[in-house]
Amino acid sequence: MHDAQGGKYMSAENPVVRESDLGFRMNRRQLLAGAAGVAGAGALLAACGGGEVGPLTFGARTVDESPTKQLKALVAAYEAKTGNTVTYNATESNAFQNNLSQYLQGTPDDAFQWMAGYRMQFFAQQGLLVDLSDVWDKIGDQYAESYKIASTGLDGKQYFIPQSWYPWGLHFRKSMLADLGIDVDGVYNWDDFLKMLDGMKSKGLVGFAAADKGGWEAMGTFDIINARVNGYQYHVDLMAGREKWTDPRTAKVFEYWEQLVPYMNDNVLDLEWDGAMQLLLQRKAGAMLMGSWFGGNFKEQSDADYEDLWIIPFPEINPEHKRDTIDAPIDGFCAAKNGSNNEGGADFLAFAGDMEGVQAVLDTGVPMTSANKGQDTSTYDAFQKQQLAVMGEAKYITQFLDRDTRPDFAGPVVGPELQNWFKNPKDVNKILESLQSQWDALPPL
Amino acid sequence: MSSSATRPSRSRRRRAFSRGDRLTLGLFVGVPTFLHLLLVWIPAVLTIVLSFTYWTGINFGDIKWAGTANYTNIVTKTPAFYDALRNNVIWLVWFALISTPAGVLLAYQIDRQIRGHRFYQSAYYFPVVLSLAVTGIIWNFMLRSDGFINGIIGRDIDNAISFFGNYDINIYVIMVIASWRHVGYIMLLYLAGLKAIDPTLREAASIDGATEWETFRKVILPAMRPVNIIIVVITIIESLRAFDIIYVIYGTSAGLPILGVLVFQNIAGEGASMKGAAYAVILFVLSIGPIIAYLRQQFREDVS
Repeated sequence: MHDAQGGKYMSAENPVVRESDLGFRMNRRQLLAGAAGVAGAGALLAACGGGEVGPLTFGARTVDESPTKQLKALVAAYEAKTGNTVTYNATESNAFQNNLSQYLQGTPDDAFQWMAGYRMQFFAQQGLLVDLSDVWDKIGDQYAESYKIASTGLDGKQYFIPQSWYPWGLHFRKSMLADLGIDVDGVYNWDDFLKMLDGMKSKGLVGFAAADKGGWEAMGTFDIINARVNGYQYHVDLMAGREKWTDPRTAKVFEYWEQLVPYMNDNVLDLEWDGAMQLLLQRKAGAMLMGSWFGGNFKEQSDADYEDLWIIPFPEINPEHKRDTIDAPIDGFCAAKNGSNNEGGADFLAFAGDMEGVQAVLDTGVPMTSANKGQDTSTYDAFQKQQLAVMGEAKYITQFLDRDTRPDFAGPVVGPELQNWFKNPKDVNKILESLQSQWDALPPL
Repeated sequence: MSSSATRPSRSRRRRAFSRGDRLTLGLFVGVPTFLHLLLVWIPAVLTIVLSFTYWTGINFGDIKWAGTANYTNIVTKTPAFYDALRNNVIWLVWFALISTPAGVLLAYQIDRQIRGHRFYQSAYYFPVVLSLAVTGIIWNFMLRSDGFINGIIGRDIDNAISFFGNYDINIYVIMVIASWRHVGYIMLLYLAGLKAIDPTLREAASIDGATEWETFRKVILPAMRPVNIIIVVITIIESLRAFDIIYVIYGTSAGLPILGVLVFQNIAGEGASMKGAAYAVILFVLSIGPIIAYLRQQFREDVS
């Protein structure tokens, strides 16, 4: 049922994605080469078929202010260039995700916002996504090979157009660090980290802002502690079921996690991710582990709040693994097979993936680290440059727990069990046994 | 009385419906029956069948026979099932012992035309106008960490009272919210029943020297029997089908597992599996079982 041989990495030399490669391995150099590529090279390629593809619809999986601004700008730029009309439909992110199967089988939008990795592959395998290989032939040279791999389905064809990436790391406000007299660049390992948290706590702050009401937020903490304690390979193997949740090594993750509990806010299960963000924004918390995407939300508050942001990699725990792994999910777009205008969907995505479309999004001023090589990293602001540096230190890139393992396991099983752990950290063994037995009970793929 | 042999007219008269009558009847009976079968019974039967399969809900070709695997998985491997069952039982007990009697009591008081009864009536009934989803949104706004109540008592997000995140109390918080609506609903149903009771019954009881409580128990309650049946059934159904209020507050996460949420969690989104169908069947059996048993017992009493 779960392929025991699948531990080999995907690599640029071997771009065939196997079902067992639930964890995406992207070579760091490829990704960086992508991000740091020569500005504008190939950007003006006439990727857009343009002309007579007919009106189409686009489904956004967000109703938040900043991403809506970006997507509307993208749509407007496409309409201006091609004279084609795009109907913009927005759905709140969780609702969109919960409804996606039904949406794709019904009358979906021609193009829609989605995520790379397992979550894209699953729908591609069910025949619900449009093969975008032709689009990749046109715009592929604007992307590093690793992005192509992450956009590839199990059949070797591309079904995804990447838009942006973001690292998961420890976020701070520089002004707070200055007030506290903390030099985060000196926070390298676990002891440094706990010492820093002690310092914050003694000043009456929440050290480590945490949230898990949504059931997914804490997955990022699990991912990174597991990678730090047991290494990338163990994490990927655990996600794919080749290692056991009941393994003492997995239990060790929770031993470290538990050490953080005293520094957390005590309403973890009452806050969703944006609640944790509020703790940082309102200077109630010193540090927060989160994906850097929320920079846009800070910018909505004010430019000063955004410019105050800083990120460092999660500290080293096991010197053997240094800080060599990071969760860095890729967001982007797919086209729906059951849409009424497949050609139009693909045409729109060719524009979205091309530097011309990317530039339209960047021009909104909402911070984005694009997947396209054409975004010159020298135009990055200080926070983005630091994100790039954090990525640079990592050798292995994972997507995120709910993108790296089976969807019928991540959402309905891991999420609730992690919430149970917050409820009572002493129950860890019971929880791990339950996780393993629920994994074993999953239907064969 | 003439003998029935000479009166076959009954069936003949039926056959004597005109074409138009038959068409009208056919439409009035046939269309709803057809829709009911199509939208309720066929999906219900399919759900039962699918609960014995593995399927992601997309391609029919992928359906694999699973036997009772989904059920064994739920009963033996899934602790959330027992958490949910416990929560549903607590919910049912709370509704049966607290919310429903409270609704009956309010109805009784208002029926006695206490001062300001019209105001109370509207006030208690008001939440019923709102769907449970809207109720959830309102109370989420009131009680969440950065919500109204925490704001009023001057607690910031870092030291807020955790109404929804404290798993020792959250079910009671949710049940109080659900009761806020349920009490008004029961009150209205009961009030309608009370208004229909012949006032002479009460007079007779008081002339006979019955106390208020005795009048209620021995006279009003038996006279209200049809309404009582409805209220018992509604209480059971409302407790077991609880879903929307929790979904609004917790989404698909396990903040407060109840059976309705488990159905949705396992059948929606990418993680769709027929484990969700199995949960639905379990929920169906649990809801329908006690109701059938109760109704049978009631009707048997009626006959005797």
